[in-house]
Amino acid sequence: MTATATPPVTEQPAPVAEPRRKYDAERLFNRVALGVLVAFSLLWLVPLAWALATSIRPSQEVITDPTSWFTAHPTLAAYGDIFDAGKLPYWYANSFITSILTTVLTVLAGSLAAFALSQTRFRARRVAFVMLLAGIMIPGQVLMIPQFLALQEAGLLNTYWGVVLPQVPNVVAVFVFKQFFDGIPRELIDAARADGASWLRTYRQIVMPISRPVISAVTIFVFVGVWNNFLWPLLVVTDPEMMTLPVGLTSVQDVFGVPYAQLMASAVLGAIPLLAVFALFQRRIVEGIAGTGLK
Amino acid sequence: MRDRTPHTSPPAPSRRRLLRGTLSLGAVAASAAALSGCDSTLAQGFTGGSPTPDRLNFWNPFTGGDGERLLAMQAAYRAGHRKTDLKSATFVWGNPYYTKLTLATLGDRPPQVAISHLSKVPTLAEAGLLAEIQPADLARHGLTEDKFDARPWKKSQLDGKLYAIPLDTHPFVLYFRTDIAEKAGLLDGKGQLTDVDGPDAFIDALRAAKEVTGQWGGSIASVKDASTQFRLFWSFYRQISGGDLVADQGRKVVIDTEAAAEALAYIRRLTAEKVVPTTTDGPGAITMLTTGKAGFLMDGVWQVLTVQGSKVKFDMRPLPRIFDDAPYACAADSHSLVLPKAPSDSAQRLDLSLGFIASLLGSSKLWAEGGHIPAWLPTQRSASYKALEPQSHYAAAADGAAYDPAAWYGGAGSSLQIVIGDAVTSVFTGATSPTAGAARMKRELRELASRPSPV
Amino acid sequence: MATTTAPTKARGRGDRWAGPGMLLPFSLFYLVFLVGPLIYTVVAGFFDTSLLKSGLGDFAGFSNYSTVLGDSEFWRTLKNTLWFTVLTTVPLVLLSLVLAILADRFVRGRWFFRFAFFAPFVLPSAVVALMFTFIYADQVGLAQQAATWVGVDTPPSWLGDPDWAMISIAAATVWWTLGFNFVLYLAGLQDIPRSVHEAAAIDGAGPWQRIRHVVVPMLGRTTTLVTVLQVVASLKVFDQIYMLTNGGPDGSTRPSLQLIYDTGFVEGRVGYASTVSLLLFVVILLVSLVWFALVRRAEKER
Repeated sequence: MTATATPPVTEQPAPVAEPRRKYDAERLFNRVALGVLVAFSLLWLVPLAWALATSIRPSQEVITDPTSWFTAHPTLAAYGDIFDAGKLPYWYANSFITSILTTVLTVLAGSLAAFALSQTRFRARRVAFVMLLAGIMIPGQVLMIPQFLALQEAGLLNTYWGVVLPQVPNVVAVFVFKQFFDGIPRELIDAARADGASWLRTYRQIVMPISRPVISAVTIFVFVGVWNNFLWPLLVVTDPEMMTLPVGLTSVQDVFGVPYAQLMASAVLGAIPLLAVFALFQRRIVEGIAGTGLK
Repeated sequence: MRDRTPHTSPPAPSRRRLLRGTLSLGAVAASAAALSGCDSTLAQGFTGGSPTPDRLNFWNPFTGGDGERLLAMQAAYRAGHRKTDLKSATFVWGNPYYTKLTLATLGDRPPQVAISHLSKVPTLAEAGLLAEIQPADLARHGLTEDKFDARPWKKSQLDGKLYAIPLDTHPFVLYFRTDIAEKAGLLDGKGQLTDVDGPDAFIDALRAAKEVTGQWGGSIASVKDASTQFRLFWSFYRQISGGDLVADQGRKVVIDTEAAAEALAYIRRLTAEKVVPTTTDGPGAITMLTTGKAGFLMDGVWQVLTVQGSKVKFDMRPLPRIFDDAPYACAADSHSLVLPKAPSDSAQRLDLSLGFIASLLGSSKLWAEGGHIPAWLPTQRSASYKALEPQSHYAAAADGAAYDPAAWYGGAGSSLQIVIGDAVTSVFTGATSPTAGAARMKRELRELASRPSPV
Repeated sequence: MATTTAPTKARGRGDRWAGPGMLLPFSLFYLVFLVGPLIYTVVAGFFDTSLLKSGLGDFAGFSNYSTVLGDSEFWRTLKNTLWFTVLTTVPLVLLSLVLAILADRFVRGRWFFRFAFFAPFVLPSAVVALMFTFIYADQVGLAQQAATWVGVDTPPSWLGDPDWAMISIAAATVWWTLGFNFVLYLAGLQDIPRSVHEAAAIDGAGPWQRIRHVVVPMLGRTTTLVTVLQVVASLKVFDQIYMLTNGGPDGSTRPSLQLIYDTGFVEGRVGYASTVSLLLFVVILLVSLVWFALVRRAEKER
């Protein structure tokens, strides 16, 4: 847990048996590698930093000297303008509500289906699995028109359900769950079943509790995906107070047009929630990507 | 090799806990604030119900100077109607705005009142998206035909039925710096531009201004601005041919390619003779005028507040009459107020809506300050409007107002504007010859016309 | 009393329906929102369906298909989409591979690199578009400023010049999504046993040779995965283009998905848009199938 646990040198020490010349080459290579990495990572931080720097400059200053990084008079005026325009709290609330609803439904429906496919035995199981497999190749966006018409017919446009429901059939989530469930020791399930537990109870009391890693991986991914979805809410939500954050930020204009300080403040406000989620769960997200069935 | 396993988070737990605590506090505070302010709205999100009866939703595409004027007009309304909960929303101008309006109406949650360009009203009305407005209802709020400018009023109708209430006419005009024009010897004793009519006279004037500025004679947006390029072309094309590009609601292409080529050739002359720069975007074109890099600017009247804000000496006048083969014409459109068709009378809120519209028209003077020529005659004929400078100097342009070609794919920010504007730009920059540009227009228009109309 | 014998009879009846029952909720969503719409798309392609009128509209036979296939705009948007795919996939695969291999050499700073590269990936496309609207702005944007620093006197209008707009959007996309591939490669690198490196080092291979002859080949599977995910994602590009240029200037950045959006929702021609949807679907399907074929072959060779 303490810093002494890691060796003082950050580079991987070369094997001791190496001749000195080799060791030098190794060190030189590491220096160059570090230089390249640092240069690229700084370059990668430039847009974020610039957005932040611009957002706290007074509007007048941005107009006269747009590309400057610094200001003598930092101000939160641009943020104030955006909050005063009034819709931002709605957008945050709407994004939260739709993301959470979708995530809960996706995890429930997806894990149940995966459990059925992985553990139970019934006649149409293989057919169902193949159909599901085919579903992974259907790009959802291509179906936006009939999905829109279906929701219009059902009177669900401009409601949370309109945003949520079409995003629930997430085939990838089912695969990730199924892959995890396939790895659960058979004896565990058999023991529960022998105790007289129904399949549903086995799922609820045995399988779900030990599936926390995969549940959290799927949760994070679905949540981020829904939060960031743009095209779908752009279509189904037209009421400014029902919009999600990404749609609201870009389709509702404020009377101030395009003063860049406000534009960048919007960007920062839109970025904060997910950057925070990322900062909290960095390890889990990264492991999630690496470990889920994407490989 | 111990250090390959990534357990690199020594001080993490405390830091992480702190961060998590702060965040959840923030999230709770934010959602509490949101919930207390808009709990009924959130409930609607689940149930899909309609807003409370004193609610009036109003949509518009106005930003910049227009947006500021509109805020003032809304404030005037709110001051007199404290019980009404007026909520106004501004969307990105052009196709995105009209798409939103269409989808909202199809989704049974349209705003009670919305702004529409008159060039878009026939298409929206034909598609059944607008409520017809009865003269009797209007009269209840003091809105009668005799109080409106005849041109936009006529344009607000489709098959004799009224679907919109006109607010203004906004032509494409000429801005000029009076100080630069004076040095160039272009002004007469009364401060008026002397001789800018005719193809050579206009270019000579631009050249004279160029000698004063040392950079350019005039400027016009050509980058990321197909609509401005369309307006320039449409003005000249109408001055030459007097005719249209399409007919029969867009089903037939009637473009006069010779006239189009002539208009394009003249547009190319502006850049070929180096009196106008080839690549400038909208804000850039205005900046050229306000920083003295150009003496003239060809743009819509709505930029007047922006130019005024720069505190330079300038004036405005109708776009010059370059060609006299046909009656004078300049590209123009009108803003109007429409009532998107609501699912029920209670959602339509007719009298509330018309009361709001009457109030906006009553504030026409505020709107006129933003450059638009008011359609509301009590304002247009008032002494205070006539005293408004430079706004009253181009009021005559309304007589030559040439609205966009009537087609379901036409109107403000439409596919037609984009297709034609892009073709103009490619001639303007010298990438295409005028005759090839005209041929390209005909080809693209034919393509648009061949599509089955959705309305 | 608990034994692992065959399931007792009491559970037998409920059991037969347990599996299908648990599959049911997901299946309903799947049928209503994926299968149903797919069928509708196929059907509507044969009609002049309008967004503004109810019902399917007039029967059109194959006329939508012949118009779409003869429509230069369809081919141009497809070309734009493929051009975007090339412009993004190549740097996104190569750059993330190089950066991941380099970052794998360092333990202590790795979280920083991971943060820097991956953070943009969690941002909504709307935020990315807002930021790059300013960065690519004419006269006042950082990108033009940067170009003048490196000695370009008159930098192009990044989003306004038809020759540059797609490249600019692709660059923003690389910035945005590189982190995802970077993380996949880092994970792939974790799977290479340390002993492989050591064996190669003892054989006298320098760092460069080890990367070229040992590391890169061993990442082959990850590279296939990254490439295909990337290609499929790029073929579905819409958000950032819609927000940054709305397909312009002069249609030079308009992707296929925007053609569907524009014809379907802006113009309201649902029948035509359905035809375009189906054709785009087929293109994406073919790419996916090629991937499956490649993976199959790679697995057989193992």
